[in-house]
Amino acid sequence: MSHDKHCNDEEKFLHHSRRNFLKQSSLLTAVALAPPALSRAGDFTDDKVSELFEQQYIQIEVNGIAHKFSVEPRVTALDLLREQLHLTGTKKGCDFGQCGACTVHIDGERVLSCLSLAVMQNGKKITTIEGLADGEKLHPMQEAFIAHDGMQCGYCTPGQIMSAIACVREGHAGSAEEVRQYMSGNICRCGAYPNIVDAIMDVKQKGVTL
Amino acid sequence: MGFLPEELDRIDARAKVTGQAQFSYEYNFPNLAYGVMVGSNIAKGTIIALDTKTAGRAPGVIAVISHLNIPKLTGYEPVADADKLPAIKKGFKVFSDNVIRFNGQPIAIVVADTFERATYAASLVKAQYQKEESHTDLREQSKNAKPLEGASYKDYVRGEADAWKNAEVKIEAEYEMPYEVHLPMEMHGLTVKWEAEDKVTLYEKTQTLQGTQRNIARVFGIPEKNVHVITAFVGGAFGSAGNTWPHSIAAAIAAKVIGRPLKVSLTRDQMFMMVGYRPKAIQKIGMGASKDGKLFGITHEADENTASYAEFREGSVNTTKSLYACPNVNTRYKVFPLDLSLPTYMRGPGETTGMYALECAMDEMAYALKMDPLEFRLLNYAETDQEKNRPYSSKFLKEAYQMGADAIGWKDRKRQLSSMKEGEWLVGYGMGSGVFSSGRGAAKLGIKFLADGTLILQTGVTDMGPGTSTSMTKLASETFGIPVNKIKFEMGDSDLPPGPGQFGSQTTSALGSAVSNASERWKKKMVEFAKQTNYFHTENFTFEKGFMSLTEDPSKKLSYADILKSANVPSIELLEDSPGASQDKFTTYAYAVHFVKLHVHPATGVIKFSKIVAVVDGGKIVSEKTARSQVIGGVVSGIGMALMEEGVIDHRYGRWVNNNFADYHVPVHADVPHIEALFVNKPDPLVNPIGSKGIGEVTMVGFASAVANAVFHATGKRVRDLPITPDKLI
Amino acid sequence: MINFDYVKISSSKSAIDALNKDAKSQFIAGGTNLVDLMKRGVAAPEKLIDIRGLQLKGIEQQNGFIRIGALALNSAVADNDMIIKKLPLLSQALKAGASPQLRNMATVGGNMMQRTRCTYFYDTTMPCNKRQPGSGCGAMKGYNRMHAILGASDKCIAVHPSDMCVALTALDALVIISSNKGERKMLFADFHRLPGNTPEKDNNLLRGELITAIEIPEHDEYAAHSLYVKIRDRASYAFALISVAAALDMKGNTIKNAKLAMGGVAHKPWRLVSAENFLKGKPASLVNFKQAAGIAMKDAKGYGYNDFKLKLAPNTIVEALKTVSGLS
Repeated sequence: MSHDKHCNDEEKFLHHSRRNFLKQSSLLTAVALAPPALSRAGDFTDDKVSELFEQQYIQIEVNGIAHKFSVEPRVTALDLLREQLHLTGTKKGCDFGQCGACTVHIDGERVLSCLSLAVMQNGKKITTIEGLADGEKLHPMQEAFIAHDGMQCGYCTPGQIMSAIACVREGHAGSAEEVRQYMSGNICRCGAYPNIVDAIMDVKQKGVTL
Repeated sequence: MGFLPEELDRIDARAKVTGQAQFSYEYNFPNLAYGVMVGSNIAKGTIIALDTKTAGRAPGVIAVISHLNIPKLTGYEPVADADKLPAIKKGFKVFSDNVIRFNGQPIAIVVADTFERATYAASLVKAQYQKEESHTDLREQSKNAKPLEGASYKDYVRGEADAWKNAEVKIEAEYEMPYEVHLPMEMHGLTVKWEAEDKVTLYEKTQTLQGTQRNIARVFGIPEKNVHVITAFVGGAFGSAGNTWPHSIAAAIAAKVIGRPLKVSLTRDQMFMMVGYRPKAIQKIGMGASKDGKLFGITHEADENTASYAEFREGSVNTTKSLYACPNVNTRYKVFPLDLSLPTYMRGPGETTGMYALECAMDEMAYALKMDPLEFRLLNYAETDQEKNRPYSSKFLKEAYQMGADAIGWKDRKRQLSSMKEGEWLVGYGMGSGVFSSGRGAAKLGIKFLADGTLILQTGVTDMGPGTSTSMTKLASETFGIPVNKIKFEMGDSDLPPGPGQFGSQTTSALGSAVSNASERWKKKMVEFAKQTNYFHTENFTFEKGFMSLTEDPSKKLSYADILKSANVPSIELLEDSPGASQDKFTTYAYAVHFVKLHVHPATGVIKFSKIVAVVDGGKIVSEKTARSQVIGGVVSGIGMALMEEGVIDHRYGRWVNNNFADYHVPVHADVPHIEALFVNKPDPLVNPIGSKGIGEVTMVGFASAVANAVFHATGKRVRDLPITPDKLI
Repeated sequence: MINFDYVKISSSKSAIDALNKDAKSQFIAGGTNLVDLMKRGVAAPEKLIDIRGLQLKGIEQQNGFIRIGALALNSAVADNDMIIKKLPLLSQALKAGASPQLRNMATVGGNMMQRTRCTYFYDTTMPCNKRQPGSGCGAMKGYNRMHAILGASDKCIAVHPSDMCVALTALDALVIISSNKGERKMLFADFHRLPGNTPEKDNNLLRGELITAIEIPEHDEYAAHSLYVKIRDRASYAFALISVAAALDMKGNTIKNAKLAMGGVAHKPWRLVSAENFLKGKPASLVNFKQAAGIAMKDAKGYGYNDFKLKLAPNTIVEALKTVSGLS
């Protein structure tokens, strides 16, 4: 997409935001476009229909599969994964960026999906815990977590593993002490920390490419 | 996974590392609706107006349910003379009235077609209140208000009360334990689906399927069997999922009203206000001993809180009655109602709080006596239970002390305070012991042994993380002589034979007994069938690796599957009904000893652990790998308690102010060093057929005192109010 | 969270135009604080203008300055070789903040714009003059363990939570700001405000302005003696109780010049100008450090729970100076 083309799209956005469009459009048009689910008699308010128009179209590749979505801008990547794609391996532990349970890789970097708006991931690639294994063959970090019992209840585990892979890839697994610092964004209330550190150091020392 | 490996990998680890483990809020159904709880923002008073209309009109909203429009419920019908009940007995039934009993009390549930819409609409529910003065300060109430009364609060006296005052050497100190909150990583949530007018399925985060079943049945006046509870995985709980909390009832009510499946999750801040917490405790200990270090008297008093509308007590003074040999012991335990939500059991309930105080006091006494703290404990070692005047079923605490002292290098500890340094850092060694009652509850276990040699074990228990399926699979493998890959452990469903609730460190004991007993009954059947084969001619068999063999001649053997086949039996099915054992001839405790070596930076109050050793006497350890993780986990909880965890309430509003993971600190990776977890691993001959004592709770008990004692050793500063944050050391 | 409109913009001009057009619009980049605030109902913009597509990510040397684009990620700056070599203080401060995941999302500009973490500000059921002017300060007589001891007003005792900003304040950074009136520069130390009577205003950025870059004057002479010390309630992933950014230009044992700033003590990163002046030309010694810390604490005031900072702050200054000067 050329720079000019992009700017033109922006201009369009600026001058005709959907909200403005809606305010100007007639209720009738909106009703005609509403899906059957909404078409209950007497059920129409401008606001209800408007919600439909306030969705935006995005395309995201999740675990190697391209998906198209229509989402409200307030939907987080975490809720998109869990509630719309039913990829519930990515966990909600606080929803405020304070625990790390929702860690995923976006374009290869570990980030918190609970503070990432889905619309802002348009055109990006997301990898979740479900995308690590190659068929029946587990990812080396998954294997190491099993071998070292890097979990108890298992709820923080997907986030720990996503973060652990990134920690090694980033080159922040030079020592157990460094791993502890660079894994501190992932809280485990059961206290599996020492085993998790052992698992990461094990993978690091084996030198496999992650 | 080999046969009878020394270290069995966690059975459900694969599900957990691949994201396939399904938690209670993660079920999907067509037409699924989302519920969000709305909490009050005053602590005490009444709702005089509740605007739910704005929320009701918001996009996607299906229903807003509150005390204004709650349907008629059998369980909400007033009992006879309800008005005459004292406040503490009245309880709290969600949406039953307009009374506010605590800040954050659920006042409505908003249901919508998406999570985002439900969340937004919930913010539109507005209440107007008639406020009343609230009391949430335990210290103030313990001076001004009356504690609860009744037989449970009777003072305990052995020998003479307050005898410590007459001892040659004595100390007296007050210890404060702040509110602690469980905060499992999985927030409490559930999915509810009504199958018929009087039949419901709940995917619920619970430690007790049967408890949930009972409580839901009661509310709706339906038979317990019509309440199907499924709990495939529990994302941690530590006691918070022992109750059926108001949000679960609200979800069930709402799902029924809307006639659609519904799921509800609490938010992280609601986790502080709606699912319990460890009560605050103000404790006083007086202790006296002879000059040569023999305990003469201990007095242990504790003031704790409950809610205004229901009683909770954890008996934090109880272990002081028996842990050490002492002729004069008395305890006083008082509970004061506050305008807060109901506290509940949290890892090592009672003992964690009480032993923190007792084990700090023991350390203070040792210094007063100029004795080594470990020597002082050994000198007052209790060989029998002086409280109940009976023997212990087993007690390997002495062995645990020795193992821990060796591992930490206790002999390198210089007795003098603040005498050990590394650079600018002060070095301290400390220890603390933990004890937790080890009961054996009832459990039912279904056994199916199939023609292909597969063993299926079924029980309605849930697993919040200790690895119940793993330890039971390992135990079954040993007792039945069946490879682990031929064993299937089915749990987490109330349709299965009822298992024990997962609390009080009793799962392994109760369920392990059932597995062991079932294996004996199964073996008898197998012997019958084996004799029918005409291949064997004696009755002495060995059961191993899927084969029965003659004990005298192991070469003569047949596989279990072949035995069934030749006896023409398709399968063996048994229901093992394992009763709980009441202990009247002996006392059973599990023990833990914690040793820490730490560094304190005197100018900034920063603490760093350099070594932690935890030794557990849990009888025979069934599954070492998962048990070790449990010990490490208990220690990590202990690090939180010792150094950072503190729930803070702003008494002006009666509201939790640090109700999130950024302000209520729990340990992160960087706080936790390598932890050495050791087991005495000697079977208890009396407690149950497997000789195992539960360890989940005891692993945390006593740890905080080890830290406080080490900090004192390093700095000479005795911190008596937890947590030991940097500000208290500068 | 209310639903809102979202638009992605790829030039500074369009971004500024978009912001000016809609009074209830706001820029979003990393979103680590804004999305958090929106979830709690503290912020409720009707339109988000996504500026991550702007070409403002560069880290480069330019005419005696190191220029860092406003959209450079915190992790990218912290791990940048030139920053590690020339501005170790900045790298250390960034690494002391948040978590690796958050640093992978948060930008330099966003870090500057983040709001206080005061619990009364976050809980919309509580009074807070910053969130709702005139509603009162919940922290003043409440739970104020994390709160200010310097520069507070009777309206607000909140602190700015950033670590990065403490380092940038010490390093004499400049903020480069664009608007449709052109570009202006501001001393980093002047960017954030004290609460005064308008605690709702965190900084001096005007409506319609966009932070485009930070410029830090190159003073390699400080690189060898640079240290960020952060004292917190746990070993990582926690906001500072007290933090100290210290950079010294030393000749032998003599301090030629000092750059010092503190975090966790005020509504803005707190530059210790008097202490710097005091140390200038003096030998590195415990006595001098203690005196400098004492000077820094003049006018400090506690509010109850945070009284300990009156001691922890000077102690941390002394510790930082001891370590950074090589005295210990």
